[in-house]
Amino acid sequence: MASKLTNKAAFFKQTPALGWLLTGLVIAGLEMAVGKPLARFLGIGKIPALFGFLIIFKKPSLQFPFIFNDLGIIAGVIVYDILIYLLPLVLVTWLTYRLTNRVAGVLYRKSALLSVLLHILLLYLVLRLWTDISTYRELVTRLTMIAVIVTLSLNVINGYMGEFSTSHPGFMAVGAYVSSVFTMALFTQSDYFGPARLPASLAPVFFPIALILGGAVAAFSALAVAIPSFRTRGDYLAIISLAYMFIVKSLFENLEVVGGPRGLGGQPDLASFPVIFVWMALGIWIINNFVRSTLGKALNAVRDDELAADAMTVNTRKTKMTAFLFGAFWAGLAGGLLAHVLRYINPGSFGLQKLAEVLAMVYFGGLNSVLGSIVGAVSINLLGEALRPLELYKWIVIPVILILVMIYRPTGLIAFREFDLVEIVKPKEIKEGDDATA
Amino acid sequence: MLKRVLVVMVLLGALALLLAACGGGGPDTIKIGINAPLTGDIPKVGEGTKYAAEMWLEDNPELEVGGKKYKVELVIEDNESKAESAAKANTKLITQDEVLVIVGPQSSKQAVPAGGVANDLKTPMISPWSTNPKTTKDRPWVFRTPFLDPFQGPVLAKFATEEFGAEKAAVLYDVASDYPKGLAEYFKKAWEEIHGPGSVVAFESFTTKDTDFSAQLTKIKNSGADVLFLPQYYNEVALIVPQARQLGWDKPILGSDSWGSAELTKLCGEPCYGSFFSTHYVAKGAKGATKEFIDRYQAKYGYVPDDVAALTWDAMNIVKKAIQDCGKITGDIEKDRQCVRDAMANIKEFEGITGKMSFNEQGDPIKCAVIVRINDQGEFEFYKQVCPEGMQ
Amino acid sequence: MSATEFFQNVVNALQWGSFYALIALGYSMVYGVLLLFNFAHGDIFMVGAYIGFFVATAFLALFASGVGIITLPSWAILVLVILATMFLTSFVGMAVERIGYRPLRHAPRASAAITGLMIGIIFETSILAMFGAQRMKFPELLPGLASASQPTFGGVIISWQKILIVGVALVLMLLLQWFVSNTKWGMAMRAMAFDFAAVPLMGVPLNRIAALTFALGSALAGAAAVLYSMAYPVLDPYMGITVGWKAFVAAILGGRGSIKGAALAGFLLGFIEIFAATVFPSTYRDLIAYSIILIILVFRPHGMFGEEHTARLRL
Repeated sequence: MASKLTNKAAFFKQTPALGWLLTGLVIAGLEMAVGKPLARFLGIGKIPALFGFLIIFKKPSLQFPFIFNDLGIIAGVIVYDILIYLLPLVLVTWLTYRLTNRVAGVLYRKSALLSVLLHILLLYLVLRLWTDISTYRELVTRLTMIAVIVTLSLNVINGYMGEFSTSHPGFMAVGAYVSSVFTMALFTQSDYFGPARLPASLAPVFFPIALILGGAVAAFSALAVAIPSFRTRGDYLAIISLAYMFIVKSLFENLEVVGGPRGLGGQPDLASFPVIFVWMALGIWIINNFVRSTLGKALNAVRDDELAADAMTVNTRKTKMTAFLFGAFWAGLAGGLLAHVLRYINPGSFGLQKLAEVLAMVYFGGLNSVLGSIVGAVSINLLGEALRPLELYKWIVIPVILILVMIYRPTGLIAFREFDLVEIVKPKEIKEGDDATA
Repeated sequence: MLKRVLVVMVLLGALALLLAACGGGGPDTIKIGINAPLTGDIPKVGEGTKYAAEMWLEDNPELEVGGKKYKVELVIEDNESKAESAAKANTKLITQDEVLVIVGPQSSKQAVPAGGVANDLKTPMISPWSTNPKTTKDRPWVFRTPFLDPFQGPVLAKFATEEFGAEKAAVLYDVASDYPKGLAEYFKKAWEEIHGPGSVVAFESFTTKDTDFSAQLTKIKNSGADVLFLPQYYNEVALIVPQARQLGWDKPILGSDSWGSAELTKLCGEPCYGSFFSTHYVAKGAKGATKEFIDRYQAKYGYVPDDVAALTWDAMNIVKKAIQDCGKITGDIEKDRQCVRDAMANIKEFEGITGKMSFNEQGDPIKCAVIVRINDQGEFEFYKQVCPEGMQ
Repeated sequence: MSATEFFQNVVNALQWGSFYALIALGYSMVYGVLLLFNFAHGDIFMVGAYIGFFVATAFLALFASGVGIITLPSWAILVLVILATMFLTSFVGMAVERIGYRPLRHAPRASAAITGLMIGIIFETSILAMFGAQRMKFPELLPGLASASQPTFGGVIISWQKILIVGVALVLMLLLQWFVSNTKWGMAMRAMAFDFAAVPLMGVPLNRIAALTFALGSALAGAAAVLYSMAYPVLDPYMGITVGWKAFVAAILGGRGSIKGAALAGFLLGFIEIFAATVFPSTYRDLIAYSIILIILVFRPHGMFGEEHTARLRL
C-alpha cells in the first residue's frame, strides 16, 4: 500500500518546474475567477488572504481543544483551500506532467537561457495574479521579496564566508536613507529638501540609480567594519559589526536634516510590485553567480580553512573584503526598496529587533544556500503574518519553531546546496516502468 | 488511489458546505479596526487601548444608523510597536477585514506610516495618542484626539515661569523617541522666547531603554537651572526622578502628558511627590462622564486608566458620532468610508472625557490642557487649566 | 568640567560599569569555555530580576521587622535575597544550556547563537504573558538607605547605594577569580577553554563543565539583576536586551575568556558611556562610545587581554 502510494505520487517528482508554474497559474486564475463567489458560498465572506490562517487562528483560545474560530468557518476555509489549492495542484500536475516535461525539454534544448527567462516570466505572472486579489497579500509579498534580498545578502557573509556579522540593519539603514534622500530631493516637494527639482515622471527612470547609490554608500560604509575586522581571523567581526550598527542608528538619530528620530516620510511611491520583483530576480541571479564563481569558491575555502586557502594562493583578505562589501551593497539596496514601500523610515526601525529578524531568516532557511535563503525569508515572513491573530503568543510559537529547526537541522532547512537555474528548468526524467514494477 | 482521494475530498467539501451554511457573519455588522502595540516596547499602551475599546464595545454592542441596528465588531491588530508592522496591520484591516474605520496606532512612530496607508486606501483613521504633526498633515482621511506638541510645550514653559519664577531651565529627553524629542524642542523654543537665547542651560538627552542618567543629571545639576523638564514616559520618569534626587537635585521637576499613568507614583514613590505635569485629564476629582469612565475601568481592570485609555475612549466615541452622523450604511464599503470620513471632518465640536475639543482643517483637535500636581499622598491633583487662545 | 563634576562622574561610572562587568563575565565565561555567543544571557539577567522581585517580596514578608515571622536585620535580608536569586537564576542558565545549547554542541556555533536569541525572545514574551504589561517596582530592600545622609567628599555625592553595588560586584568578581584559578572545577573549566577537543578525552565531563559554566555566569547575572533593580527599580520584560548586548560588547572587548578582561572592559564601557555623555552633547553618546570601541579593536583586535587564538572555528 505504502509503496503504491509513493508510486502514485511519483508524478510529483517527475513534474518539471514548468509544470509547477503552470499549476500555479491555473490556481491563481481559478481563484480569481471563482474565489469570491466560492468564499461567499462557504461562509468565509472574503477570499482568504494567506490560505485562511488568519481566519483559522482568529479569536485565539489557549484551552483544550484549541478551537480558534467557529467550526463552520474553519471547515469552510479548509474546503476552500482544498478546492482552490490542493485539488488543482494534484489534478493539474497529474494531467500535465508529461506534456510540460516535453515542452520543457524542447525549450531546454533550444536555449537554456531562454527557458530560464520564460520560467521567471511565468513566476512573475503567477505571483502577480495571486497578489492582485488583495492589497494585503500584495504588501506582504512585496515585503517578503525584499526580505529575500536581505537574507541572501547576509547569507553571503554568515553562510558562505562563515563569519558572524551583525551589521545588516545598519547597511539597510544607510541604503534606505541615501536612496530616500536622493528620490525625495529630486522628485518630491518635502519639508526636508524643498521643492522638486525634476518632474515626477522621470522618477521611475532614476529610481534604480537611487537604489544603486544607496547600496554603494552602504558598501562604502561597510569598509569601516571590513578594514579592522579582516586583518585577522576571529570573532571580532561580530562585535565590530554590532558597534557599527549602534553607530549608524545613533548617527541617523542625530542627523536633523533627515528628520532625526522623527524619521523621514513621504518617499515617492516607486517600489511597485514589478520593480521589486525585477530587483529580487536580479539579486538572486547576481548573488547566485557570485557565490558560484571562483571568488565564491575561494570564500568557501577561506571559511573551511583559512591557512590552507592562503597556502593555495587565495588572497584571503581581499576575498573576505569583497564578499563583505558585496553583501553590504545588496542589504543597502534592499533597504532602499523597503523605504519606498513603507514610504516612511526612522532610525529605530533598524535596531536589534530587525537584527534578530534577519538572523532568524538566514539560519532558518539554511546556510550556504541560495534556495535556503529564499525559503527562510518566505517562510518566516509568511509565518509572521499567518500567526498574527495569536497576538502575543506568536512570539512564543515562532521562536519554538526556530529552535526545533536548529536542533534537528542545525545548519537550517536547506543548507549547503547549489542553486542552479538551468538545472531547475530541465525536464524531469520519466521512468515509465515505475508504475508497473510496484 | 487518486480516485479515492478525490472522493474523500468531494465528501469533505460537501460536509463543510453543510456546516458553513449554518455559520458566517452577515452584512449587518460594522467593523472597527484597532491597531495597537500589544507587544514590543510599549505593551502597556496597547493594553490600555485594547481595554478601553473592549469596554466601549460593551456599551455599544450595536449601533443604530439611519433607523437600522448594526452589530459592532472590533478587529484588534497588534503592530508589535514597529513601523512596518503597523503599516501591514492597517493594510490587513482595510483590505482583508474591510473595516469601516480604524482607531490607532498610538505612538507617532507607527501612526505616521500607518496614516499614509489609511490615506492611500481611503479609509478614515483616528489616532488617539499620536502628537506628531506629520500624522495628519495633508492627509484628509486621518484624524486624532490628543493636543499637539506645539501647544503643550509653550503651556509648560509659561507655567514654570509664572509658578516657580524660574529663569533658567534644564531639559532631559529621549533622543531616539519621537514624542519626547519633539516636545523637548517645542519647550526649548517657547522658553527661549520668554527668557532669551541661552536660557535653557542644559539640553540633555539619552536613548530609549537607557536606565542610568547619572552623567546627564550631574551636568544638569551643575548647570544652575531652576527647573527640570522631563517630557518622558512614566516608566522612565520613575527611574530619572529618584536618580536626580539622589544626585542632590532639589528644585522643581516638570513633566508632560506622558506622565499621566496611575503607575507613576507606584513605580516612582516619594521622589516624584510635589512634581507637576500637563495632561489631558485628571482622574482625581474628575466629574461626570470622565469619573464614570475611570470608575468603571478601575473596577473592571484593577487600575486607574492611563491617558491613552481615556483618549481611545474619546476616539471610539468620535467614531460612533461620525458613523451616526453619516446616517446610513449602504454596504458598499467604499461609499460608507467616504461618508464616515466626511462626517468625521464635519465634527466641529466634541465633548469628550478628555475635555472639549474642536477640530481644525488638518483633523487636529484644539483643546485645553490640565496641569496636575502630584500631592504628598502620591495622588494626581488638579492644579490649573490652560486653554489655547480663543477657547475656555 | 570642574573637578567635582569629574569625580562625581567617576563615581557614577563605577556603579554603571559594575553592571556591565558582572553581566559581561557571564558572556565571557561561556565564550571562553564553549566558544559560544550566549545571546540569551541578557534575558537570563531579566529573568533574574523577576526572580529577585519575588524572592525579595517573599523574604520581606517573612523576615522584615514588624511584619515577618522572624525578624532579621535588613542587611541580612539583602544578603539572603542576593544568594537566593543567584541560586535560582543559575538553574535558568542551566536549563537554557540543556535545552538550547547541548543539542547543538556539534552544530555550527552560529546556530547555537540563534537558539539563544530565540530562547531570549521566549523569555521576554512569557514574562509579558504571565505578568501583563504592568511594570513592576522592585521593593526597597534597605529602607532608609536613600534618605539617610549620604557620604559626600568635597561636593561629590557618593551614595551608600553606590558603595554597596560596587562593593558587592567587586567581591563577586574576586570570588569568581578565586574559584576559577584555585578549585578543581575551575581548573577543568580553564582546561576546556584551552582545548575543547582533547580535554574531554582526558576524563573531564564536558556536559557537567558546560552546565557549571552556565550556572556560574547566570548566578552572576542574577546578582547583577538584584543590584541593578535596587538602583533602577522598574522591571520590564525587555530590560535585558540593551544591557545584554552592550555587556556582550564588553565581554569581547575584554578578550576571549579572560575574567580580568571582561571585568575591566565592563568598567571601561561604563566610563566611556558616562564620559561621552558628559563631555559631548549627550545625544552623541552611543556614536562616540562605539567609535572608541571600534578604534580600540583596530589596535587590539583580540581584545584588551585576549591572545590570538587560532583554534579553527567549528563551522
